[in-house]
Amino acid sequence: MGRWLPERLLRLALVLFSISFLSFGLMRLAGSDVVEQKMENRGEAVSAEAAEEARASLGLDQPFLVQYSVWLKRAAGGDLGRSYVSGQPVAEAFWQRLPNTLRLAFMSVLLTAVLSLPLGILSAVRQNGPVDYAVRVLSFVGNSLPNFVVALLLLYILSLRLGWLPVISDGTGWESAVMPGLTLAIAMGAKYIRQVRTAVLEELSQPYVAGALSRGIPFARLLWGGVLRSAGGTLLTMLALSLGDLLGGAAVVETIFMYGGVGSMAAEAIRMRDYPVVQAYVMMMGGIYALLNLLADLGCRWLDPRIGRGDM
Amino acid sequence: MRLGKSRTASGRVRRWLWILTALTALLLLAVYGAPFICPFDPQGQDLSRSLQPPGKEHILGTDQYGRDVLARVLSGGRVSISSTFLLVAVISVFGSMSGVYCGLRGGWPDRLLMGIAELCLSLPGIILAMAIAAVLNGGVLGAVGALALVSWPKYARLARSRTLALKNSPFIYAVRLAGDTPGQVVRRHLLPNILGTVLVTAILDIGTLLMELAGLSFLGLGAQPPTAEWGSMLSSGRSMLQLYPWLVLGPGLGIFITVVLFSLLGDAMRDCLDVRRVP
Amino acid sequence: MKKFFSLLILLALAAALTAGCGGDKKPEPQRNAGRVFTFGDTTFNAENEEPDVNPHNAYAGWACIRYGIGETLFRYNDKMEQEPWLAEGFELVDDLTWKIRLRDDVAFSNGRKMDAQAVKECLEQLIKVHRRARGNLNLAAMEADGQILTLKTSEPEPSLLNYLGNPYGCIIDVQAGITPDGIVAGTGPYVAKKVIPSQRVELEPNEKYWGGKPQMEKIFVQTISNGDTLVAALQSGQIDAAYGIPYASYPLFQSDKYKFTGTATSRVFFGQVNFASPIMQDKAVRRAIALGVDKGAFVKTLLWGYGEVATGPFPDNFTFGGKNLRTEGFDPEKAKAELEAAGWKDTDGDGIREKNGRKLRVRWLTYPSRQELPLLAEAAQSDLKKLGIDLIVNNTADHNGVVKDPKAWDIYVSAFVTCGTGDPLNFFSTVCLDSSTKNRGGYHSDRVEALAQEMKGTFDRQKRGELAVQIQQELLDDAAFCFFSFLKMSMINKAEVQGLKAHTSDYYEITKDLSFK
Repeated sequence: MGRWLPERLLRLALVLFSISFLSFGLMRLAGSDVVEQKMENRGEAVSAEAAEEARASLGLDQPFLVQYSVWLKRAAGGDLGRSYVSGQPVAEAFWQRLPNTLRLAFMSVLLTAVLSLPLGILSAVRQNGPVDYAVRVLSFVGNSLPNFVVALLLLYILSLRLGWLPVISDGTGWESAVMPGLTLAIAMGAKYIRQVRTAVLEELSQPYVAGALSRGIPFARLLWGGVLRSAGGTLLTMLALSLGDLLGGAAVVETIFMYGGVGSMAAEAIRMRDYPVVQAYVMMMGGIYALLNLLADLGCRWLDPRIGRGDM
Repeated sequence: MRLGKSRTASGRVRRWLWILTALTALLLLAVYGAPFICPFDPQGQDLSRSLQPPGKEHILGTDQYGRDVLARVLSGGRVSISSTFLLVAVISVFGSMSGVYCGLRGGWPDRLLMGIAELCLSLPGIILAMAIAAVLNGGVLGAVGALALVSWPKYARLARSRTLALKNSPFIYAVRLAGDTPGQVVRRHLLPNILGTVLVTAILDIGTLLMELAGLSFLGLGAQPPTAEWGSMLSSGRSMLQLYPWLVLGPGLGIFITVVLFSLLGDAMRDCLDVRRVP
Repeated sequence: MKKFFSLLILLALAAALTAGCGGDKKPEPQRNAGRVFTFGDTTFNAENEEPDVNPHNAYAGWACIRYGIGETLFRYNDKMEQEPWLAEGFELVDDLTWKIRLRDDVAFSNGRKMDAQAVKECLEQLIKVHRRARGNLNLAAMEADGQILTLKTSEPEPSLLNYLGNPYGCIIDVQAGITPDGIVAGTGPYVAKKVIPSQRVELEPNEKYWGGKPQMEKIFVQTISNGDTLVAALQSGQIDAAYGIPYASYPLFQSDKYKFTGTATSRVFFGQVNFASPIMQDKAVRRAIALGVDKGAFVKTLLWGYGEVATGPFPDNFTFGGKNLRTEGFDPEKAKAELEAAGWKDTDGDGIREKNGRKLRVRWLTYPSRQELPLLAEAAQSDLKKLGIDLIVNNTADHNGVVKDPKAWDIYVSAFVTCGTGDPLNFFSTVCLDSSTKNRGGYHSDRVEALAQEMKGTFDRQKRGELAVQIQQELLDDAAFCFFSFLKMSMINKAEVQGLKAHTSDYYEITKDLSFK
């Protein structure tokens, strides 16, 4: 353990440094900057001097490497700067919006489980029956619709036709996470229905099931006992696999629903060329990704001391 | 270790594969042959016929400019499907080549390439793609480039792990003993072995990547009008969903049918070639 | 196992964070509780440079004046001419000195009386912090004496009153200060109580309002930057009125339950010709574009009738507007004849004309962020094809980069507010003079230069209008610019809402007259 942790942390720092440089360079390769984007949004003329003045006040007139070193120095001191657009400190903006994204992630995991677990089990138990086919077709449909189409349909049906959910969801309540959560859950759930089905089928084909049945143990008890316990583990593992998608990949859905999470914040910042916000997002999200991995590794090592003598 | 064609695929699976191949060919024929078959010009405007609902003459109705929606969907499909094919071809060829190279070569090139791959995966893919597409200033090719950069690592890792597994296997050892040069080993035994996996993964990816490309266009980061493309058609039809639903129905169905066909085809090919699914 | 752990950690984090944030759940706007009005707006956000309601900050004056928080010394009427508002009248002492008499019955929302001293403090602060205002107003000195404010400019500034009517000219009490969230004390019928940037402004009536009693008890201005969400919000009744509904959705609201109010603004969709491009130096080609695009059909079918065909840079209802100009309308036959006469003929029968072996191919540069521009490009493409012109549309977010390369485009089509201050000179000095920053195509005309110079020193309103008409006529006769259409600014509200009226200036929205039936 002694050397392993410092090495991992060093590697983490290296990755963060690289992606910070990468994104810094990437954003500056774009043809325009925040001054031009704002001007375009207003559709009013700004004199060339005023534009240059605005650039100079943001430091955008400096050579690239100077800009980067200034940013790096400040970032190392814990100051990620202020948004060019709103003037708000970017770290604060990120932490304010992160709970919304986590809430959305939580909601979609929950809805995915609610959708895929019962349907997958049903499909497996009634293998090759009409119910099985219906569920399989359903899962195929869910898997073949882009999430932005699902989002449009849900918005139309749930909000407008039925009036069940509010149209405006700024991300501050559980209610506003339902529709974006459901959008994400439909695609994910559709995928997991198939996986759950396979997992349960595999479990059902184990010899102990046949044995237990022949001993007269009711099928229902068998299902709720052994079979589901092992299938449940598979499902949890698969849900965890989608973590990355949920934290960052919700950007499209967040944008469509105008949900105030970090994904839509990053998308908007990219569009506006709001460099400090993009940088902050990259650093924080990169850090969270890496940290989650690290913690998971640590957890495994703590549980199972056999791993990690030489292999990590 | 399986060499050559699988002999286990049952007749039913084979027949299913043939049916799907025929259907896919039909789809491609409709999309690519549309300029010769379809009586309407996808660009031909006639403002006096704008927004007609689906009917006998215009099967999927007309859009704001009075253009035939079906003709637009087919020509949009050309852009969507071609760009997806291009994307999948680029990432599967480049990704697996670099993976094989890394696996065989090892050492610092391996560490470097895998480091880059790790970097590409250290951020949410869609955000990275959005940033790159924004830098490339939209356009279909910009979106393809953006998605290529975030999706090649999957193929590189896949090919690399297969190569490593094969490199040290007794089978390769045996053919080396039989006198094959390293080049021959790669060409005759290694590549054909990896090809099946890569092919199936690529076909299964077509659907997902088609949706992601359309998603970028939907957000205005991909194809721009006047280019007809499914994502941008959905985006411009979005505000007319309530009144003129056929503007959304056409491109939506286009995406749906294509994705369904290619995922079924991929599944069937996997069953036929008996390649294990790669997550 | 590893994945399982990541999931556990995430769930724990989510639970902890959401539990932590559950306490400060914001109170939802109370619906149907008396006279509470919710206004959905696409524009109040930081991306649009309206981060708060402080008129001295970027373009936030627009929010200040639109939502009835601040008022200016002079306001625009429907013809975009100045009328006294917080001022009672003025006197031009000499070319550099203006004497402005202020109303005596006005107080700021914090109770302080609005006198010349308060206005002086406000304007001093304004030119100190606001670059655009400083450049426009050219103020050299100010004197306050009771209700008389004397302004001295450093050079003759005929449009001073126009600039004072600009949203940045909202008079606020600077002694009261500006809160960290950008709330100011103005003189308008409503007072901002809470401002959440890019999300919401909460307003309450100004009990001391000089113009009468405001009718609403509470107003929420809700930012909904997506047009389709705005539509859904109005349909579902979450908001009472909306600004910025996409045209395509207008038919949804054509019923007794809703009311429209709209007016043409000076936001024009127009093309600038690139004079560095050989093909565009041919006047026949420029005229063909001007004559050959069916603006009427574009407005009717693609803007759903919610636009106004443009002849020049200013709408017809302006005193110096399009009705004074001599132009030819949509005339494809004439355009064809002129192209023929200039030697552009379709010799190879492919439908595209040629001259000296060169195809008549015009590159149309535009950008997608304003949704009407791609529509216009596609319509023009089809119209011009009928004349034998092959229009290549380059619709790109990188237009600012492309336009800098004179070899990369032939006509640049953009949207532009030509007359936000009611002063026509602003447009000319921005786009068509040698010194203009947005003279992208390198247009030059000796006559236009001379006329603009004359206009700079002219105080007489009528004479200025005449000069403006002459300059516009020159631009059209040279076929150097193509003006396609004005955008109509519209608001849609529920039928029971009264007193919400769209204004030509696009400034005034919420007034004391706003009420429910």
